[in-house]
Amino acid sequence: MPELVSVAVNSLLAAGLYATMAYGLAVIYGVMRIINLAHAGLMMLGAYVTFTLFDRFGLDPFVGLALTGPLFFLLGVALHRLVGRRLARSGAGPSMESLLLTFGVWLVLQNLAYYVWSGDTQSILTGYTLKSVAILGVRVGVPSLLVFGASAVSLVFLNVLLRTTYLGKAIRAVTQNRDAALLSGVDADRISATAFGLGTAFAGLAGGMLSTLYAFTPDFGRSFLLKAFCIIVLGGMESVTGVAVGALVLAILENGLAVYTSVPTSFQDAVSFTLLFLALVAFPQGLPGLFSRFARRGALH
Amino acid sequence: MKALPASFGAVAAAAALAAPFVLERGTLNDLWSLALGVILASAWNLLGGFAGQVSLGYSAFLGIGAYTTALLSLRGVHPFLTLPLGALLAALFSIVIGLPAFRLRGPYFTIATIGVGEAVRVSAASVSFTGGSGGLRMPAGSFDFQLNYYSMVVLAILSVVLAAAVRSSAFGHALAAIRQDIDGAEALGVHSTRFKLAAHALSAAVVALAGSLYAINFQYIAPGSVFDFRLSLSIVLMPIVGGVGTVAGPVLGALVFSTLQIKLLAVPALRDAYLLLYGGLLILVMLYEPKGLVGLWRRLVARARSAGSVRGPEVSDAG
Amino acid sequence: MPAEPLLSVRDLSKRFGGLLALDGVHFEVARGEIFGVIGPNGAGKTTLFACLTGSLPPTRGEIRFLGARIDGLTSPAVVARGLVRTHQIVRPFREMTVEDNVSVGAHFGAGRRRGADARRRVREILERTGLAPRATISAGTLTIGELKRLEIARALATEPTAICLDEVMGGLNPSEIVGAMALIRSIRDAGVTVLMIEHHVHAVVGVSDRILVLNFGQRIAEGPPREIVRDPEVVAAYLGDDSVPVRADG
Repeated sequence: MPELVSVAVNSLLAAGLYATMAYGLAVIYGVMRIINLAHAGLMMLGAYVTFTLFDRFGLDPFVGLALTGPLFFLLGVALHRLVGRRLARSGAGPSMESLLLTFGVWLVLQNLAYYVWSGDTQSILTGYTLKSVAILGVRVGVPSLLVFGASAVSLVFLNVLLRTTYLGKAIRAVTQNRDAALLSGVDADRISATAFGLGTAFAGLAGGMLSTLYAFTPDFGRSFLLKAFCIIVLGGMESVTGVAVGALVLAILENGLAVYTSVPTSFQDAVSFTLLFLALVAFPQGLPGLFSRFARRGALH
Repeated sequence: MKALPASFGAVAAAAALAAPFVLERGTLNDLWSLALGVILASAWNLLGGFAGQVSLGYSAFLGIGAYTTALLSLRGVHPFLTLPLGALLAALFSIVIGLPAFRLRGPYFTIATIGVGEAVRVSAASVSFTGGSGGLRMPAGSFDFQLNYYSMVVLAILSVVLAAAVRSSAFGHALAAIRQDIDGAEALGVHSTRFKLAAHALSAAVVALAGSLYAINFQYIAPGSVFDFRLSLSIVLMPIVGGVGTVAGPVLGALVFSTLQIKLLAVPALRDAYLLLYGGLLILVMLYEPKGLVGLWRRLVARARSAGSVRGPEVSDAG
Repeated sequence: MPAEPLLSVRDLSKRFGGLLALDGVHFEVARGEIFGVIGPNGAGKTTLFACLTGSLPPTRGEIRFLGARIDGLTSPAVVARGLVRTHQIVRPFREMTVEDNVSVGAHFGAGRRRGADARRRVREILERTGLAPRATISAGTLTIGELKRLEIARALATEPTAICLDEVMGGLNPSEIVGAMALIRSIRDAGVTVLMIEHHVHAVVGVSDRILVLNFGQRIAEGPPREIVRDPEVVAAYLGDDSVPVRADG
């Protein structure tokens, strides 16, 4: 019984972070149909920026998030101008070119990080990093709790943004039905720029949060990227709730495996990847019509 | 237009075979690496270029070849006799992965292959049977560089010939049809999954052969080297930079890559800039010339042709 | 006269989520017929062809071709049995030459030709469809009329027993339409049964032996052209439609 509680608590806490991570990917895909592999690099960058703010200026990482978010939003808009615009294809589905191009951006970001920060493993050690708290009888690290809090705040803020502002509604509209939205006068360029900005901002936030939990190197981010894909496939990307649900499912599966089986931690990533693989292949109908994965059972033409 | 590259190729092949009589060991090592690049790039191109299914998990096949050779050699089998088994295992594995994965389209297939590649790497590093993360060392003795060099060069020549043969065959046409319009191909009778599986298995087998030769030459293999994601990455970049879907493209790409890598390693300050190199090349190619060097060449030739003649409908060389 | 129809469709339905595109459609096609399929936009005609040839799995119903059930089979499997379709929106392999396009059909269709045999077959078909002068040209540079003929050529290369032509006359000028009608007749005369969807109602009426009329996914009439043009339900379905008004003299 205590194991169940432990799985529940840990999963919930992890889900917040995962949702933040996945949302960044989802919004860019939803609006522009671009699979942004650079997302991993942006998370890594978010971790390093948070680290630098902490290391150089003594800024608490969670306070630093308030700076990182807007900063990365601007970075995203800039990236959109530079690279994203040329990528935006008209609704015909994601292209290999965009995948490979964002992949290239990811590699460049990695190399830049190597130059600026060196390849040494970094981590953030604050006064509360090693402290823990008991929740429902489960020992939980303080950083994990704070990460959950920060995620919850960001996601709620995001949800409000999406539901009340014009741009937010436009983003939801384009994600659900691109052609109809564009026909009704939505400015494709502004929406794409906003989406890119949001996606990058959430990548940066996720990275900042991850930096408080894990040690990191410029190579950091690949396994989280794959988890993010898994989440989007599981929960869809048309709403923040969908992403949250997918994040929760993944977190429960991971924690469940860790607690109830003797699978070694080094294997856990392999498990997540296999899960991604199976998830991508095994869900024909059922999931909100996101990735049209299936061959001939699809469109008429 | 096709006779030209073919004759270049023949000259290059002859030169490569004659090289050990003329060049010194250091250069021969570089040529060996170039040959490896040509094999990997040409093999990948069968599925990735001809059929248009981009897999980022090919290091798995290299690793399967390398590990099969290492494990069997450590049990007393002559290293070169292990080659067919490694190729067979890689082909079988490619089918096991392909059966579910080929139900995915385009980029989703690619993402799935990233997952597979990573899962294989992590598994190899966690299991003691494969020597864990420490890797395996080949049994001592019987290292013969000249034999290694020739086997690699011969395999490289065979890979390119194979690619050319596939390209002009009915099989190749089916792959091209699949790449351009998979539903249209199926509507004409092409069982697309069967062809994808076949191309995948063929290329996996060739890559595994290279992996076996890799193990024989380097004498030491570890998951970090043969199952590395960066390796999967360079396997993909070479044909893309050179010209995906052509026969000459992978060769050109391998050449460009080898040269750049050698130059990079020579300058200490740039030694770690390979990611910048890979990433930059990818970005440039995708933004400006998705068809790579061969595509660029053809564009320039077409422009030169039409510059001299009256404006008419553009007739492209669909070779 | 063989008793068994070449193609028999019973209670065919296709649902896309909330939309019922085909609703209990039934009809039969005899060997050697030219069988027209007409109906207003959105009537389900292309969906019907897609279900017949395996591009889409039917939600319900039975399709029999040459006596055996083919509903639920994949496209390649259906093509192997001799039933092939063309597409309303042409989809050539743009980076391949015209003859390579046609050879895909020759190699992998029901005929399964190889080598010199395949090349000969391809040349024959290019002659018949008037594409021989464009054989080595890249398909991406053809005109719309040529592309329509290429669609037909590729399908014919599979050596079908029956061919489903989906709006092959769309976008053609009147003289091209006459040419298309002649081609369709020659296909039938060569022994291939033809099903055709057309919006040019007078062309369909002029060339078909029998016609099926669909509206809102349902069959509203089936019979010889003379009866169809007089059928009050058919006329009603086309009232307010922009297509050419149906004439009794075809």
